[in-house]
Order: sequence, then structure tokens, then C-alpha cells
Amino acid sequence: MDLATFDTGLLHATIERALRRGGDFAEVFVEDRDTLGLRLEDGRIEQTSGGHETGAAVRLLTGERTYYAYSDAVDEAGLTAAADAVAAAVSAGAQGPAVVDLGAVRSDPSRHPVLKPPGDVAIARKAELVRAGDEAARSVSDEIVQAIAGYGDTRQKVLIANSLGDLVFDDRTRTRFTVQVVARRGDVIQTGHEAVGGSAGFELVDEEIARAVARTAAEKARIMLDSKPAPVGAMPVVLANGFGGTLFHEACGHGLEADAIAKGASIYDGKMGEIVATGMVSAYDDGSITNGWGSQAFDDEGVPTQKTMVIEDGRLTGYLYDRLRAREAGAAPTGNGRRQSFRHVPIPRMTTTYIAPGDMDPDEIIAATPRGFYAKSLAGGQVEPASGNFVFGVAEGYLIEDGKLTTPLRGATLVGNGIDILMKIDMIAGDFDVKTGVCGKDGQGVPVGTGQATLRIAEMTVGGTG
Amino acid sequence: MFEILDAVLERAQARGAADVEVYGERSTSHRIKVYRQEVEQLTAAQRRGVGVRVFSGGAVGHAYTSDLSDGALDDLVQRAVDNAAVSDPDEFAVLPQPGGEPADVHPFDPRLEAATDEQRIAVALEVEATALAADPRVKTVEDTMYVDGDGEVFLASTAGVRGSFRAGQCYAFAYVLAEQEGQVETGYSYSVGRALEDLDPAFVGNEATERATRLLGATKCPSMKAPVILDPFVSAAFFGVLSSALTADAVQKGRSLFAGREGERVAGELLELVDDGTLEDGLDSAPFDGEGVPCGRTPLITGGVLQGFLYDTYTGRKAGRASTGNGMRGGYSGLPGVRPSNLVITGPATPLDEIVAGMEKGVLVTDAVGIHSGANPISGEFSVGISGVLIENGKFTTPVREVTLAGDIVGMLTSIRALGDDARWVPGGSIFTPSVVIDGMAIGGT
Repeated sequence: MDLATFDTGLLHATIERALRRGGDFAEVFVEDRDTLGLRLEDGRIEQTSGGHETGAAVRLLTGERTYYAYSDAVDEAGLTAAADAVAAAVSAGAQGPAVVDLGAVRSDPSRHPVLKPPGDVAIARKAELVRAGDEAARSVSDEIVQAIAGYGDTRQKVLIANSLGDLVFDDRTRTRFTVQVVARRGDVIQTGHEAVGGSAGFELVDEEIARAVARTAAEKARIMLDSKPAPVGAMPVVLANGFGGTLFHEACGHGLEADAIAKGASIYDGKMGEIVATGMVSAYDDGSITNGWGSQAFDDEGVPTQKTMVIEDGRLTGYLYDRLRAREAGAAPTGNGRRQSFRHVPIPRMTTTYIAPGDMDPDEIIAATPRGFYAKSLAGGQVEPASGNFVFGVAEGYLIEDGKLTTPLRGATLVGNGIDILMKIDMIAGDFDVKTGVCGKDGQGVPVGTGQATLRIAEMTVGGTG
Repeated sequence: MFEILDAVLERAQARGAADVEVYGERSTSHRIKVYRQEVEQLTAAQRRGVGVRVFSGGAVGHAYTSDLSDGALDDLVQRAVDNAAVSDPDEFAVLPQPGGEPADVHPFDPRLEAATDEQRIAVALEVEATALAADPRVKTVEDTMYVDGDGEVFLASTAGVRGSFRAGQCYAFAYVLAEQEGQVETGYSYSVGRALEDLDPAFVGNEATERATRLLGATKCPSMKAPVILDPFVSAAFFGVLSSALTADAVQKGRSLFAGREGERVAGELLELVDDGTLEDGLDSAPFDGEGVPCGRTPLITGGVLQGFLYDTYTGRKAGRASTGNGMRGGYSGLPGVRPSNLVITGPATPLDEIVAGMEKGVLVTDAVGIHSGANPISGEFSVGISGVLIENGKFTTPVREVTLAGDIVGMLTSIRALGDDARWVPGGSIFTPSVVIDGMAIGGT
């Protein structure tokens, strides 16, 4: 199946068929995805796995309702069955709007250039990367007892057609390399993790980069062997660049997604234009960053990705929309309608979300903190968008004493509230960095980037065991 | 589907692969979301695909496809063979052999496929209506869902494994936001079953609202060391994280805090923990696992003493013992891996009100966030954010939130002092657990 030359007559017919009993918008999403995953653990490459998945989904919107049907069969029978399933569910019975003729197919292949398509690279070359990662991690210290190195690439081709006449083809390549390390000293076991990823090809990672990623992960685990249990209490918290952006993603970003706003399930509902952060905070979601892990040329509704300012100098300026929520709100879609695959309904999702850098030196921030907690990397966290309450695990943390980093601390969590912490940011450095991750929402995982420079939150609750 | 499986086996053998296993899946599912008494989203899905494992001199290659055309099956086999060529050989990686009679369990109820969209929608509408009516402080029911899945699994191999079964389940879910004086708290509830008729929509609506409203007015409490009661939802989340350390995979790879501790006391002596894939009412029950090995019943902790671990074929061979039937697959695209089926926590039950009445100071924990990120299953250390209700002098007093609960898993298990009389199934890992009472936990507040 070649999506670039797919029968547009069939797409048009499917959209008409879906709308025949009512509805005001219909869409066909066709997907063809190739995946390869390599994983090395315990010094050996385990069961190497790869696959090819194809499928098509038909979506019908009527008012605020969504009807969705999908099938793995991308042929006339499969598309017809899906169109019939959504049409049967519509109770209106009246013919939907006329379907606009599909125009010429839009695509933007140069948006995220792929220099070395992973499909052209022998699997054995990819295997060398995970072996190099394993060796580099173990060479850091005798206390490294386990290394798990992973390499993955996917090529996802999508074709999106809708009743407005949009026809978009997007060919997406993503490559990622990850290392997780376990260090042990006596009864103390600690782990470290590091990853690189992008909407790019095999050029993203070579052996040297693989080794550097592995060493970083191993150093984290080794340093944490010397750690002491984190203290409990409220104190200034300095969040390091890169990983620290996860906190903004979880604690604030999810509340900016327009589905949470529409349901009144966000602390940012009704606050447009209001002050939600200190004046030094400006923040963005940008799905168009070249080769970014969270980037695509188009979102999964065929809308071009863009840079959206969500907070300007402390003031709330924007929400993140998919088509459905933009329609309801009378706003323009922002290229944030994403889905994990054809098996998932598109919903508003972040792409790469970040707090813009300031101009301080990160060392200055630490030096200005007599006593506090320095969170170098976060283990992930959870948030309730409705209340803004969040909890984050800290993978690598340090005590700040007399303006210097001292003891490594383990078992710490950061507990707080999204609005509250943005209102307490009092210093931002210039060392901006973006980290890669996979964000889960409503059972769908999508690649996202999180970014920030080193910054300080004047006071935050640290929960530890010490 | 068996014709496709046989075609894959034949093609793989034609390419020189002697040991081949192929897994096929065909399923339908429905998902209905309602919002403010209207259907918000209705999804109907068809899913099918095959996954193949090729064993070549101890090296394993896996490939999968949802495209079942002739050409695609050729590609599938070629990929599996190519992938095996890059994997490192391992003497313990061999094709699973036929494992005897499948377990006598019937995870499909024909009433499931008889349900209509109208009935499914009615369940979801009743859940939401009940939740909204249960308390005036309900701000909205952010998510109300009915979900079902009906799937057939097929397995065949050159070793002579050949079997299939059908499994179905459904659930209703609500996630409620309650508001009072600007403070928002949340609560959720589930009902699960093999057929729509097994669900209790009113129970889900009422419970979700009650769980949200009981937290209204919550504040931080002072830091203290005190006993806590983990309610079944929170208990299930902890045992879910803990269970990964009870797999032979984690043990053999040095990732389990229970490694080498078989026969030792690792939990309060009243605790019994069993993995049981043969329970008629267990959501993850099946006649056989993803490798064709019959599902079974495996005691993990008895009288607080660690009994053993869960095995698939590979980890079993490595340890010189048989698989426990825990080689689970997450669909046709996934490789089998060691995972629990249904985890059942039992022991002498004490009425919950008696437990509360006997507690001078403690916390009933009804929500814990960050268990998956805040708990380290390797070291066993955890620190999570909790919400719940303070217990003082044997009575529930004020709700608490934004406080942390920290400790280490083994320390926590050994401090289990009592189990409630409120055991229930909690989905999301299929765990049956009562409330669990734990002494001397570190609570971090003001």
C-alpha cells in the first residue's frame, strides 16, 4: 500500500458515506507504520522485534459528539464498514453537509529532514549502538550491575482527508536511543536514565553519542549510591534545565489543553489574560521545532503544527486546541490534535512545551540559595489538572547548603500545585535544554518534548524519607 | 485465523526456520463516553493481526503485522528471520512445548456480544446521572465511560502447540470533580464484569462522588509517623508496582528486591498473596498464557513468607523449573513477558469500622499520586503524594491532601498489621484486595 498515491476517490466516497445520515464534519485517517525495537539487557540483545501495521479510521463530528470507527483493513470493504458504523450511530437522519472536493495533496517533506532513513540502515549497525551503550555504561564503575540499552525507530505515514476538502500526507520518521543503568553497593540500589530522540533519521545517534548517553545514565546511578534520604519540608527548589521542564508539562501544560478547559476541569479555565505566573515567565508549545522529538509537519488532523505562546510575561495567552475543541470555542486549531495511532481519537495534546529561558547563570541561582533542594532530573510525575495538584519523583537530587550543591539525596518527591509554583518562580537562567519523553493521556501515548532553563521556585514541599 | 497461522508456519519453515510460534488475534471493542447526559464519543473498533517468533540456535526474532495479505505475510516471516539474526543466542531461549490441558476457565459470556449501543449508552448515562445527583457539590463528571472488549486468541507452533479461546470483559467508570469554596477534589470508581448486566452503574456514580466529596475542605496535616489504612484502590496500586519484583525476569536480571529471599519473612504474617489465572471472575483469567502454557495458581507470599516467583518458559528454563503460565502478551504486536495474571490479596479480615475505632491517630489513604513514578521497584523506596482522611481518637476527622507518604516496600509489607473486610476487584492490573493497615508510616506535611 502506498499512501502517497492512495485512491482519493475512495476517500471522498468514504467521507460522503459517513455523512449520509447526518453530522457536520467527517474525516478519514489512514496510517501505515513500520517499527523496529532493539533492546540489550544483561549484556545480550534480547528478542529483537519489528512490525508493520496498517489501518484506517473514520471520524464523524456532530455538534459536540464524536463517532469513531476503525479497522486494520485499509481497502474499500474496511473503509465502507467504518463509514457505515459511524453513520449508523448518528440519530439525526438528515444528510450532512456537502463534501468539499479534495484538493491537491498537501505535504511538507522538507520540514523535518531525514538524512539517513533508518529503513536503509542494516539492523546490525543499530545493534552496534546498543552494544556500545552497554559497554560505556559498565565502564563507568564496577558498581554498575546492569545496563539496559534500547534503540527504536518508526516510520509512520499518514493520509488525512476531511469533508472540508483538506487532504494531507505526512511521512514521519522518529529515532530514539535510551539507556537505563542500575548501580549497586551492598544493599543500596540506584538507577539512572538518559535518552536522545528526534523526528529525524539514523543521523541522530552514532556510537559516540550512544556512549555519551550511557555514561550520563551510569553517572547518575553511581552518584546516587552516595545519596542520603531526602529531608521533608518546605524549602526553595532549584529545577535543573532539560528534565525540569517535565514539571511544567505535567503541572501546567495539561491544564492548557482545550478539552480540560471545555470541561471546567482545569485550573486555567476562565483565566485567559489573567496573571498565572510571575512576570519573568513566558511559555510556549511548539510542534514545529525542526527535527524535535515532539514535532511533526502536521498534527493528526492535518493541521500544520505551530508555535503557540501560552504564557506571556506571566499572563495566560493561549490554550492548545484540536479541531473539535477549537470549533466549540470559536477559536482556530493550533496543530495540537494528536493521536497515538488510527486506533485512537485525536485529542488536544502538547508537542514540545517549554518555559522560555532568562539570562542568569545557573551557578548564580544556586549561589543565591543558602539552603534548598536541587532537582537535577525528575523521574516523572502525576497531576490532577482540575486542582493543579501534582507529585513528582526526583531521580537525581542534591541538597543546597550555603549556596553550594552538597549531599546527593534520594527518595525525594516534589509536591505542589501548578499555579502556585508558577507564581513562586523567582529566578530563571539561560541554559535552555529540551528532553524527550512519551506522554500518556486517556490511554494514548505520544512523543513529547519538555524544556526549560535552570530555574528556582522560592518555596515548595519536598517529601522524603529522611 | 488458523489458516493464516498455518501459512505463516509453512513460510517460515520454507525459509529454514525450524522452531516457529505464531500468535493471532481478532477482536472487537466499544467505548462510549457521555458528558452532561449526551453521548460525547462512541467508538467501534475491529482489530486483528498476527505476531511470529522465530527461534534460531537460541536467538529469537519477533515480527508482527496487521496486514494479512499474502505479500505482507512473506515480509513478516522475513523480518522475524532477520531480527533473529541480530539477537544474541541464549541457551535457555527455546520454543515453548505443549504444556498439557488448558485451565478450565471460561472468560467469555455470550451476553456481552448481545448488547446494543443503546444499552451501552444507557449504562454510561446512568453512571453519570447518579454521580451528578449524589451531591450538590459535584461540579462536573469529567469522564464517564462504558468500555468493552471481545477478543479471540489463536496460537500455533511447530512444536505442536495449537489452541484458541475467546475472552470478554466490560467496565463502567466515572471521574468526578467536586467543588467547595473554590477547592476542587476528584474521585473515581469502577464496576467490572464479563457482560453489561454484571455492571452496577449506580454504585459507580455514587462511589465516585463520595470519594470526591469526602476530600472537600482538605488541608495539609502535620508531619508524623502514624498508621495508615490504604483503601483497596491505593492498595492495588502498590501491589501492582510491587508485583514486577515478583517476576523471575526481575529476579534473574538483578532488578528485584526479593531476589534470593525465598523462604524469608517479607510481609506481615497475616498476608497471603497469590497469582491466579484460573478464577472465573478474574479479568485476566485465561485457559493458557501467551506461550500456550496452561494458566495456574501460584502462591507468592504465604503467612508473610516469600514462596517464589512467576515464570514464563524462558525464565523457567533458566531457573531449572517449569513456567507458571505467566508468559503474558499485550496483543499480537507484543512479545510474551513475565507478568502477573490476577493478583489476590487475602488474610484474616477485620471489619473496617473496628480498625478505625481502634486507631488513636492515623490516615485513611484514598488516593495516591506518583506511585508509578515515585516508587522505585528496584530499591523498594517510595515517596508518593496522598489524599485521604485523618483519623483521630477512633473517628474520621478532617480530610488531608498535598502530603507525602514515604518508606520502603519491604518495610511497609512487614508492617502490615491488619486487612479490612472490604476486598474487591480493582481493574488496571486485575487485583483483588481489601484495605490494608500499615503501622508507623512517615507522613510528610507541614
